[in-house]
Amino acid sequence: MISISKLLCNLDAEGDGLRYDAASESSKPQIADEKQRKPVVVWNATRRCNLYCSHCYAAAETTPATGEFTTAEAKRFLDELADYGAPVILFSGGEPLVRSDLVELVAHAADRGLRPVLSSNGTLLTPEKATALRDAGLEYAGISVDGLPERNDRFRGHDGAFDAAVSGIEHCLDAGLKTGLRYTITEANAADLEGVVDLLVDVGVDRFCFYHLDYGGRGGEIIDADLSPSAKREAVSRLCDLTLDYHDRGEEIETLLVGNYADAAFLVEYALETFGEERARAVYEYLERNGGDPTGERIADVDYQGNVHPNQFWQGYSLGNVRDRPFGDIWEDESNPLLSALRNRESHLTGRCSRCQYQSICRGGSPLRAATTSGDPFAPDPQCYLTDEEVDGANPVVGDVAD
Amino acid sequence: MGDNSRRSKVECDERGNPRSQWEVFVRQRESEPMCHVGSVAADSEPAAYEHASHLFDRYAVDVWICPAAEVGRYSARTLSAGGDESRVSEP
Repeated sequence: MISISKLLCNLDAEGDGLRYDAASESSKPQIADEKQRKPVVVWNATRRCNLYCSHCYAAAETTPATGEFTTAEAKRFLDELADYGAPVILFSGGEPLVRSDLVELVAHAADRGLRPVLSSNGTLLTPEKATALRDAGLEYAGISVDGLPERNDRFRGHDGAFDAAVSGIEHCLDAGLKTGLRYTITEANAADLEGVVDLLVDVGVDRFCFYHLDYGGRGGEIIDADLSPSAKREAVSRLCDLTLDYHDRGEEIETLLVGNYADAAFLVEYALETFGEERARAVYEYLERNGGDPTGERIADVDYQGNVHPNQFWQGYSLGNVRDRPFGDIWEDESNPLLSALRNRESHLTGRCSRCQYQSICRGGSPLRAATTSGDPFAPDPQCYLTDEEVDGANPVVGDVAD
Repeated sequence: MGDNSRRSKVECDERGNPRSQWEVFVRQRESEPMCHVGSVAADSEPAAYEHASHLFDRYAVDVWICPAAEVGRYSARTLSAGGDESRVSEP
């Protein structure tokens, strides 16, 4: 996760310590005082969803699935995560709100010292549910919207989904819950980026997370709907421009990018061109501390059956199952050669990634996209949009920190 | 005789999410034992082998594939010990 607003506008946020090891420099209360050594854990609490989105990485269905955790199993799983020291549990799905015990599980996570956060389509968030989640200790709700009303509803397979999601956002904000947008950028909705931000800022949202499409679940079936690398670059550039425009007007929105670490290199180039060498060097330094693509290190996923994945999108490969072994034991077991390689990927990257000047802040981008398209997780990410000049160049700010 | 009373059967279905899971074992060198390295989702054994090969080709002399649903699992530790075991999805 890369914060445009932190890197280009110096906007402090709760995640500065977690993300950049910059807690002491931040004016905001921090999730963690030190950069995370243990992963944020995404838990697909259910496979069931009331919507049917064309890009769903979890391939969620409207009907219940077998094998989901009971309440007792879920609590024991959360206990094991807390004992291991995971900093954050992200309740995801499917749609987590179809679980009747969600509030109980959020409370249990909070009691055990896990920071509970929610990823939801927002359509089931009533005022009562939002208040109950807040009272249970929920720290953040990320609501998915993928375009302006018509486009979003087509994407999500349900008329009225946009309006229902906005209502859910309003109920969260009314309850005093920190609430943000989740937006997966594709060819179909890239044109709506600015319109959705403008609309939701008026509602009161001030945090916007933009996801690149990864090729897991149904996302792997719509690779053709992904933006071309050049269109992706243009969309990220527009998000940088938009963030600067808002901040110039005194509206301090938080904007973040997820799922394509070519963005890290692009932000250094953008800062160099827009602000000059000093700012670009500061951006590079933050991104070095961030450490590039987090797969298999700073992010983990446990699906509704208990399978542990290297990240939330990589549902086709599992490191083990928490019904067989505690999460921490699975995650720490580097006798698994693939897990070990993901954590030492500098020596495994191939092609232009092996010589890229931005390798330390990107680390090859998405191994899932690389594996899906070429069979090799350590091949170049097909969605890297850096030019050959940027890959092979000699940006004056690169290397200072490492040296 | 060993004491097997402290272990209980780990109840689970096919572990598919939704595609079937296949347990993967690799031997990294000829002199070493097979090691479990997780599972892959696939519709058939050949597809599971191909998937596993992509991920583990560079590390493996041997690759074994086994349907996850065919493994009998018995453990002294279980996630499901005690408590409410009812279904939790709302209608």
